Amino acid sequence: MSTGGELLFVVCGLIAVVAAVLTVSLSNPLRSAVALLTHVTALAGLYLTLHAHLLAAVQLLVYAGAVVVLFVFVIMLLGPGALDSKAEPRGWVSKTVGAGLLALVAGAIAFAVGKVNPETVAIPGCPDGQAECSQFGGVNALSAAIYRDAAIPFELVSMLLLVAIIAAITIARGRTRDEKELTDSVDARRFARRAFPSDAEAPLLNPAKMSTGPLRGQSDEPSAAE
Amino acid sequence: MIELLGAWAPLLPVLFVALGGLGLMLVDALVKDKAELAMGTFVVLSLGAGLALGLWNEPVTAASTELFGGWVAADRLSLFLDVAICGGAALAALLGGGYLREHQLERGEFYVLVVFSAFGGMMLGRSSDVLTLFVALETLSLGVYGLVAFRRTSPRAAEGALKYFLLGSFASAILLYGSALLYGATGHTDFVGIAASIEAGDAETRLTILAMALMVVGLAFKVSAVPFHMWTPDAYEGAVTPATTFMAVVVKTAAFGVLLRVLFVVFGDDMLSAPSTGWPRVLGALAAITMLGGNLAAIVQRNVKRMLAYSSIAHAGYILVGIAAAASGPADAGWSETALSSVLYYLLAYTVSNVLAFGSLILAGSHGKEAVSYEDLAGLGRRHPAVALPFVLGILSLMGFPPTAGFFAKYYVLSAAMQMGTGMLWLVLVAVLSSAVGAYYYLRVLVFLFMKQPEPGAVVAVPMRSLYVVSALVLSGYFVLRMGLAPNAYLEFALEAARTFG
Amino acid sequence: MDIGLGTYLSLAAILFGIGAVGFLSRRGILLQLMSIEIMLNSVNLTLVAFNRWNPSSHAGQVFAFFVIAVAAAEAAVGLAILISFYRLKKTVESDRADLLKG
Repeated sequence: MSTGGELLFVVCGLIAVVAAVLTVSLSNPLRSAVALLTHVTALAGLYLTLHAHLLAAVQLLVYAGAVVVLFVFVIMLLGPGALDSKAEPRGWVSKTVGAGLLALVAGAIAFAVGKVNPETVAIPGCPDGQAECSQFGGVNALSAAIYRDAAIPFELVSMLLLVAIIAAITIARGRTRDEKELTDSVDARRFARRAFPSDAEAPLLNPAKMSTGPLRGQSDEPSAAE
Repeated sequence: MIELLGAWAPLLPVLFVALGGLGLMLVDALVKDKAELAMGTFVVLSLGAGLALGLWNEPVTAASTELFGGWVAADRLSLFLDVAICGGAALAALLGGGYLREHQLERGEFYVLVVFSAFGGMMLGRSSDVLTLFVALETLSLGVYGLVAFRRTSPRAAEGALKYFLLGSFASAILLYGSALLYGATGHTDFVGIAASIEAGDAETRLTILAMALMVVGLAFKVSAVPFHMWTPDAYEGAVTPATTFMAVVVKTAAFGVLLRVLFVVFGDDMLSAPSTGWPRVLGALAAITMLGGNLAAIVQRNVKRMLAYSSIAHAGYILVGIAAAASGPADAGWSETALSSVLYYLLAYTVSNVLAFGSLILAGSHGKEAVSYEDLAGLGRRHPAVALPFVLGILSLMGFPPTAGFFAKYYVLSAAMQMGTGMLWLVLVAVLSSAVGAYYYLRVLVFLFMKQPEPGAVVAVPMRSLYVVSALVLSGYFVLRMGLAPNAYLEFALEAARTFG
Repeated sequence: MDIGLGTYLSLAAILFGIGAVGFLSRRGILLQLMSIEIMLNSVNLTLVAFNRWNPSSHAGQVFAFFVIAVAAAEAAVGLAILISFYRLKKTVESDRADLLKG
């Protein structure tokens, strides 16, 4: 690795670690999002040192350009609600112990994998003047690897994205007018029953949503109050 | 038809289900009212299962193997999982057809997500590369997150989906880290290449063991083995009941299928049954605490749906007993086909029994009032014997009472473990003991159904009338009895699938 | 300074650990989602680093591409669940998810 590469590694590695720590420790989610942005950008720099040029570009496009923006967008959508964060409920003792344990595990993994240190492998380069040669990590070689060799997983990913779109719409679409009218009688009944489970005579929490009379032969309206 | 597809033929069930899902989306978008999507979903998925059965005896050509290039497998195990997954998903779709209409929740997305999640499960079952495994697992999971959060007006659904999503993606990240380390240790991502590299001794042993541990933990989350089960009861309770059924049968079957493949194809003799690694003992311990934890927690539940969730955790434990038994066989003799086939038979029996139990629970409620607690079921057997009958059958099968599918499932798993010698005896004892514990809460359902009366003035459950739910119950009830009265044909089916592992 | 495969792997393991600690110790759902992103990114770094020292194929980089796609899809669904949760509960703290117990 050249000196420039080493410098890039040290700088980007440090930034990545610091930004990751900031992401998980800042209290304002917006600041965390900015730290995450820094983190993924630093990772793109690390990919450059690893001969993954196309991947570095895609990392910037997808993470910095889409995922972090999505996070910021949601934070803005939620408004002040996203920011109010009450005091962390756990005591510092359990937090420190938990973090220490995990750090220990991560350290053990780092120790285990850190020993793996094969000889430096030269990246197969291109002889001068050979136009058709595809370089390691370059667009030609990678696109062949993705679209030709990995065609089946690629098609699978297209299905994954479709499922993700449908799922996201299913979950987050605003309620339709019908749904706003429709009380959630199932939950209302559960809440109502939870109030005084032992006392049959106790007043119900939400009588409007309850059917207290005999259920057999009742009307079709789920929220019909007798 | 098969000749027409040429080398693609072994993927026919998956391709058909994917295209069927796209077709259902179109129908949902274009036909505004009265689209019988539940029926369409049922047809698509049962045809998928039928296609898988039709391919059972078709030889896999060399052209197919080359075409799939190690990304997906074409073998009988994947066809077997196709049948179980499609069958379970088709029955869940039928339940959804009755349930969603009754509770005025009917939206087309439900069925589309069911079909696409089933597609993800089928791909997961046949994935033969850590990359395909990860992508297929996420396809399955993302669809199921959507199914859990399906009831948008319910805080419970949002909460269950949130817990499931957070822990599920955490588990995926762990699994992924394991896959990455496995790639690094062996230089391959396809199962066959990894196995060959491990066998040849090229792999970094330390990295491989670490990778295997991480992958097993990630998959244990997905099959909800204790202590990685925290999300299960919440997600099961928060989801609409047909979605709960789907999770219980499809997600579990697919995850166990891929767990089998990872354990017995990837890590194989050299990692799994080598005495020095101790993996059979680890798997046995996982099975034991899963059985005990699931059964003990199920006792204290007041909610039947939650009880069934813990019971599904306990069943994961019984299945793990079979896996541990298969792993502890003698190293050079190949894997015990008996143990592996008992696991596969268990998956089938578990699928139909769970559809029966959850379906009966669905049938017991109507008009936005679900039966959820034991008290809701009080006296139901007296008032509506026809509704209680499938419930009794499903509960007995889950309990493992002869002559139901569940009895033979437990019997095969335990006898496979017994065959492995005295080393597994303690596990068999734990399994028998925890089944006895389990009988308590299963019988409690029957007590409430037949011997209790609702408290005066309490809201009682009124069963719904739905042809969809009834036909799902009839179908699953038929298979529960059939697999209990004449288990041999199904066992043979499982045995042929288990021969995949050689 | 000798920068080899082990250095990269250790860095990735540390990042993975930071993400895991963040996921387990923070209660804000947004923070937990970001922690998962950090974990997935550290896996990508592992994959690319392994690929750098095994350049006969692009398996690792291809894997990393797919992970990026999956991570984006996962983030979309996760944020959708967050929005749905926020609408109903008016909070973004995951420990306020306390209706389901037992």
